[in-house]
Amino acid sequence: MYQTRTDKTTDETDTFPSFDADDDISRVQANREPQFTLSKCLDAVMVMGNSHLVMTRNNKLAIIASHCQESHFLYPFKLWKSGDGHGDDNPSTSGDGKYELLSVANDIMAEEIKILMSRTEVKGNQTDTLLAGSLAKALCCILFIKMLTGQEIKSRILVIKAADDCALQYMNFMNVIFAAQKQSILIDACVLDSDSGLLQQACDITGGLYLMIPQKIALAQYLLWVFLPDSDQRSQLVLPPPVHVDYRAACFCHRNLIEIGYVCSVCLSIFCNFSPICTTCETAFKIPLPQMVKAKKKKLKPST
Amino acid sequence: MHLIADLSCPAMAALSEEVLLVVKRVRQRKQDGTLYLMAERIAWGPEGKDRFTVSHLYADIRQKISPDGKAKIQLQLVLHTGESTNFHFSNESTALRDRDAAKDLLQQLLPKFKKRANKELEEKNRMLQEDPVLFQLYKDLVVSQVISAEEFWANRLSLNNVDHSASNNKQEVGISAAFLADIRPQTDGCNGLRYNLTSDIIESIFRTYPAVKQKYAENVPHNLTEKEFWTRFFQSHYFHRDRISTGLQDIFSECAKQDEKGLRSMVVQGVKNPLVDLLSLEDKTLDEGYGSNSMAPSTSSANKTVKENSNSAIIKRFNHHSAMVLAAGNIGLSPRGPAVKIQEAIEYEDLHMENGKKTVALNLKKSDRYSHGPVPLLPQQYTTSQDIINSVNCIQQEIANYKPCLTQVMSSSTASSAIAALSPGGLLMQAGSQQAINQMVPSDVQGELKHLYTAAGELLRHFWSCFPVNTPFLEEKVVKMKSNLERFQMTKLRPFQEKIQRQYLSTNLTGHLEDMFQMAYNKFHAWQTRQMLRKT
Repeated sequence: MYQTRTDKTTDETDTFPSFDADDDISRVQANREPQFTLSKCLDAVMVMGNSHLVMTRNNKLAIIASHCQESHFLYPFKLWKSGDGHGDDNPSTSGDGKYELLSVANDIMAEEIKILMSRTEVKGNQTDTLLAGSLAKALCCILFIKMLTGQEIKSRILVIKAADDCALQYMNFMNVIFAAQKQSILIDACVLDSDSGLLQQACDITGGLYLMIPQKIALAQYLLWVFLPDSDQRSQLVLPPPVHVDYRAACFCHRNLIEIGYVCSVCLSIFCNFSPICTTCETAFKIPLPQMVKAKKKKLKPST
Repeated sequence: MHLIADLSCPAMAALSEEVLLVVKRVRQRKQDGTLYLMAERIAWGPEGKDRFTVSHLYADIRQKISPDGKAKIQLQLVLHTGESTNFHFSNESTALRDRDAAKDLLQQLLPKFKKRANKELEEKNRMLQEDPVLFQLYKDLVVSQVISAEEFWANRLSLNNVDHSASNNKQEVGISAAFLADIRPQTDGCNGLRYNLTSDIIESIFRTYPAVKQKYAENVPHNLTEKEFWTRFFQSHYFHRDRISTGLQDIFSECAKQDEKGLRSMVVQGVKNPLVDLLSLEDKTLDEGYGSNSMAPSTSSANKTVKENSNSAIIKRFNHHSAMVLAAGNIGLSPRGPAVKIQEAIEYEDLHMENGKKTVALNLKKSDRYSHGPVPLLPQQYTTSQDIINSVNCIQQEIANYKPCLTQVMSSSTASSAIAALSPGGLLMQAGSQQAINQMVPSDVQGELKHLYTAAGELLRHFWSCFPVNTPFLEEKVVKMKSNLERFQMTKLRPFQEKIQRQYLSTNLTGHLEDMFQMAYNKFHAWQTRQMLRKT
């Protein structure tokens, strides 16, 4: 049974998409689709990336793999490290007449993922990926490109996710989402295994698309159909409708999602049951008791 | 005019109102009696009886008609409601005089009360016009007799009166000191001057010179027209720079004398504000003679030259004018003592020490609770660490041999099944076929539903505000409201439901309304049973 947690984030800009792919391929593989491996997923991502670069000359692409210990830029990596126009130290023409940008991109991606996987230390207890960190890196990348070109470019982030939500990254995640919203960067999500409440919220808040895929081997098709068009074109297309997002808050005592609860007016912490002292800020509260009905005084009848 | 009431009449003794006029021998509906005009109403009582048969508040009277030239000397009162009452003055000798006296008194009193009554109606009309929702609610509830007009206005008028009075306290426009000079006269071609008077200027004149206002009230429209009045005003020497009392019969010569008096009294009063009182800044020395010479410097005009006299006249007028402008602007401001004024001049609020309210510091013991996300709803699968290690190793091996093979990413059948799932009607597009309810229901139905909700909300509010039922008035009201609710349901809600059923709208638009009504009925029944238990 394989288990990887690799997230891939791709930024797409003018559009600058960044893919964030978080794969929990192994579990998926064991459960349902034996043919779907990380390699297949990478292939699909590559197809998507190539298609995006081909759509318009101005499109830029970045791919980030989100792993348990780090988030790593799969593309573009070497280009930036050594300045633009690095080009032909290793002429990597694939020999099939492909557009050189695409072949270079593919080669870089493959190389980087190999490097990433080879240096992974195997630890038996880590199963969460650094998704929030990858998203933050994607945002920084977008900002960097914006500063480089000096123009306003439309960007979006596509997250391909196989792992489960990590509750520890909640705060960072929400911060990233709001930062993206402020910068008008859409966050799209393509979820492979189980629904992710955090990503649903992210898509809802920033205006992106959320999709859970029934067939993982057709990942490329879903990506091309749903996530390739940019936000302007999406309004003209018939795409999967938005899902209902569960925005309920979680109570501080049990971390259960509640609909009606008690909120401390001092520290705004949420509880599912009333308690006279708020456990977060130690403020004491009084509740007005219902008025006691006074018992009627019975008049003593004079004994005759 | 106040006439002493005839206290021997028993009806008078019972009154606590001030009686302004009594007229004997007034017939009403062919009955002899006495007419009484009091502070707030007019009343008539038949002869020999000690109570009033007819009594109308001045506020209710719309018009009084006193036809002249008829054989009978009558006074007719028309009320707002449309009914009219006729008083026939039958005292042969004094009938005309009596009637005229009553008429004059009414003429003076009616305007005062008229404004009050109209104001309320005006207020109501204004509210209904401004707020279409309110108007619709009014139509739904009051016009169709579901609740009475008083109940409808009970809560609303009081609220709005407060607002209105607040808005009436907006700042008054001040008077420009140059308002008289701003009326620049233009030559009229042939030796005449044209003065352009706007209502603002007129108002300024009235506010600054109350004497002129009084003259205006006295003379217009009885003796002079407005135009004539103002022509005289501008012609009079009162207006002109050099006020030489010509001795002519000028209606404004009185004003000039009043102004002199006013100025003198102002000088006597002195300046109240210690900050602008220049006289108090003078040195207080003992004059020549160490105080034994009591000779105050004289400012009387006897010792001055003619030129000095005219100069002092202009300066006096100037001072007087300025003082009047200031006084007119300060009407309504409460006079403040000198200590307060000095205090205000030397202190700035911003520079005071901060003595804000005492606040309690926020003391968070477990602040990491905020950063922890909610527990995921679905249970996570449990994997052993050995599994994890194994899988990571597998993947590492796989990737080490990875070569992208982009021409064989997927088969065409998988692609087409994916496309099918994404096409309209496919697996992933199910939720979209559910149209929003507001796109399925026509907008007029929606509008009607909104009106129903507003009206039902109003009724329910009246109903629920009766609880807890403490007074017999509330008991009555609760019963009445319950019957109102039933009536509303019958007359408005049911037809609406039938209408939408006829239009084949399967959605349940009125379910919530029905629930609300049912809740109200349940509460009413519970209360009723409790009442009956208490009684038995």
